[in-house]
Amino acid sequence: MLFNSYIFIFIFLPIVLAGWYGLNKAGAHKLAMLFLSIMSLCFYGYFNPIYLLIIIGSIIVNYSLSLLFQYTASRMSNLFGLLIGVFFNLGLLFYYKYYDFFIDNINHIFNSSFAFKNILLPLGISFFTFQQLSYIVDRYKRKAKHYSFVDYMTFVTFFPQLVAGPIVLYDEMMPQFEDLDGRRFNVDSFAKGYLLFAIGIAKKVLLADTLAYIVNYGYDNSIFLDSLSTYIVALFYTFELYFDFSGYSDMAMGLAKMLNIDLPQNFNSPYKACNMKEFWRRWHITLTRFFTNYVYIPLGGNRKGTSRKLLNVFVVFFLSGLWHGANWTFVVWGIMNGIGVIWDNLYLLGAKNDESARCPKIMIPALLGQILTFHYYLLSMLAFRADNLSISITMFKKLFSFTYTGSIKRLFEYADIPENYIFRQALSIVRPQYSWIIELLTIIILIAICIIVITRKNAKEIVLDNEPTKRTFVWATVLLFLSVISFSQVSTFIYFNF
Amino acid sequence: MKYKKLLLNSIITLASLLLLAALVVYIFDPFFHYHKPLPGLKAVLTDKEYQCVGTLRNFDYDCVIAGSSVCENYNNYWFDAKYDVTSIKAIKSYGGIADLVYYLDVAYENHNLKRVVFNIDPAKLAAPSSTTFEESGCPMYLFDNNPFNDIEYLLNKDVLFEKIPYMISKSLIGDYDEGNSYNWAQWKSFGESETLSHYYSSKDILEMKDADYYADNCEANIDLLEELIQSHPETEFIFFYPPYSVLWFDRIYKSGDTQAYLYNMKACAERLVTYSNVAMYSFISDEAITTDLNNYMDDVHFSDDINYYVVTKLGELEYQINSDNLDSRFDDIYRYATQTAVSKLNEYGAMIQQEQ
Repeated sequence: MLFNSYIFIFIFLPIVLAGWYGLNKAGAHKLAMLFLSIMSLCFYGYFNPIYLLIIIGSIIVNYSLSLLFQYTASRMSNLFGLLIGVFFNLGLLFYYKYYDFFIDNINHIFNSSFAFKNILLPLGISFFTFQQLSYIVDRYKRKAKHYSFVDYMTFVTFFPQLVAGPIVLYDEMMPQFEDLDGRRFNVDSFAKGYLLFAIGIAKKVLLADTLAYIVNYGYDNSIFLDSLSTYIVALFYTFELYFDFSGYSDMAMGLAKMLNIDLPQNFNSPYKACNMKEFWRRWHITLTRFFTNYVYIPLGGNRKGTSRKLLNVFVVFFLSGLWHGANWTFVVWGIMNGIGVIWDNLYLLGAKNDESARCPKIMIPALLGQILTFHYYLLSMLAFRADNLSISITMFKKLFSFTYTGSIKRLFEYADIPENYIFRQALSIVRPQYSWIIELLTIIILIAICIIVITRKNAKEIVLDNEPTKRTFVWATVLLFLSVISFSQVSTFIYFNF
Repeated sequence: MKYKKLLLNSIITLASLLLLAALVVYIFDPFFHYHKPLPGLKAVLTDKEYQCVGTLRNFDYDCVIAGSSVCENYNNYWFDAKYDVTSIKAIKSYGGIADLVYYLDVAYENHNLKRVVFNIDPAKLAAPSSTTFEESGCPMYLFDNNPFNDIEYLLNKDVLFEKIPYMISKSLIGDYDEGNSYNWAQWKSFGESETLSHYYSSKDILEMKDADYYADNCEANIDLLEELIQSHPETEFIFFYPPYSVLWFDRIYKSGDTQAYLYNMKACAERLVTYSNVAMYSFISDEAITTDLNNYMDDVHFSDDINYYVVTKLGELEYQINSDNLDSRFDDIYRYATQTAVSKLNEYGAMIQQEQ
């Protein structure tokens, strides 16, 4: 079930809210947890009921391992449990996400012809696998305690974060579920959730999906693009991905907040970052946190010298690329980002940001740092969006071919949104030769809106860090209205397949 | 509780706006899902996937013109004048027999039909006998009778901002011809060079399939048609094979389908002409039309002049297939496909582009 669907907003969400608050008000707290997890499974199974077998199987295995840690004290059996947990979770991920990619590479290298399995990737498997893996590792380390099966299932399946994150940790979720006072309906918390949801859905439906028309056309016709149109396509995709994913995260935060649960922030205005290191403290924060805690630090982090630290950074970004998808395009994207972060760790050239303890040898203005960082990420997006390396290479070549063939006009046609219809028709009657101006204006307005949104306060700052005003609610009403009437033609969330 | 009032105001305003939007769509109803056009507005029909079912349910008519995209350029009034009926179109691009039969079932729910004019695409006789609406992305919320999923129509930005203004502007400005529903010919260029530029001949010639290669699908499709004919003896059914260009014969020859398609066409005709309320015609081997690529924009789509020609010739013995002339008519069609068309294709020779 998509957040941006009629069935979610008009049926599923009201039932969940009524059931959750109703059962808790009646004092049936355990039943409320069971209700929440069953509804979350319904939410998940709505995409494809077969997926339920995979997620429930994964929950049962991980819960059993947690139980094993509870009742065994020997170091060997604990280690055995950990190894089983790691192999099971990574094995599950490998089988469903990477098997065909692995076979494809084997076939290429050894000129063999092993058959593909064409396995359907279960939604959100990367997210719930990492979430459970972190719990198992912390259970092994005795940092995490054992919970009841229903509580554990609710933690894993909690629908706002189930299919596209944020990747939550048990120690930030379980105390909230256990807090019975927090289960009472709180109108202010609900209102803030409502506002976050409105901002998130507008980012996804009104911005990301509109940008997607132009981006999809560009990538489908990459060989016809010139430098300017390639730049526009890359720019729009850089915006699209952010609005799509951060919009989803805002919606997740908002939905959880409606249930009086706080989810961690996943995006903190990443395009304001002055360098790639800062960028990755602001982009997909919970994934960075996972890799930092469970890969970077165990590898030695920054404790074993600069060279080892940089190697660890590289490994993390290589794996991060692979986590995003079973395709070399994602690996290239990960490596490019890793190189960017390594560069920043050398402190040779860059802008000073508030969080960094050290200054680069050569300082540049913060605004220049932001522009350079944004465009470096934009370049990596050329690989990220492409279906294969060949297309991403074509896009790189087109961008730096410094040609102009007028292909931008074809792109303009994909800015032909229904909101413009009346203006387009009016102009086509009065001055038909100038009807393209409407499309050009649409592109310009889209870029302007994107720049305004990424440079102003983000959803958390507007709703949670400041007091929402009457104007905030007016905007939320308008955005929700426009978003709901746009559902019939909205696309699938990009991050669902990661 | 400081946000209670603001939240309530926002939710009430949002609900009101959504209700208002739904009400506007319900009143104007550009897909005619609920009612006929409002007084003063025309039936502006340009989105067949969205409008066919609604118009078949809610309009007044007693004749249906059923077919694929090659039927979109018929003017309803041509049939109205010829047969003294009120016509409506039931169109499904790339649709099969089952899709068109589904449309006719919808029409029969609330209408008594004097005539059904049914274009049979020969290739569709070989296709599965199941409907293709869902798999081809049609808006199923307009097809079913579930009022709850109508929300996809009632709260729809495209409908509000584009379809309703389009219907109003076409009704009030200009001279929109309601008979020209779904017409696309007005936007296209026809001609030999245009046609040849849109056609790529396969470089491979596949082995000719056995005549009965698609027999199972074909029989199932004919069963659907027979069931329809038998259920409505009061209706006169006019079936016809449309005039595709010689390039189409090149296409089916290269794909090894010529023999099987001709077998299907004959099998279909054999069964249908036995009914007293059926008349059957074929234009597929009309040499004057099909060998002149100026009549086309690609291998199958012809200009509306040809549509008009077809209407004028329906009823004439020259094109009719009946139980008396069935064998000789199909001998002619077979001869046309294997000799005349081949000879004409040879004349075009190098002008026909080859697939890379």
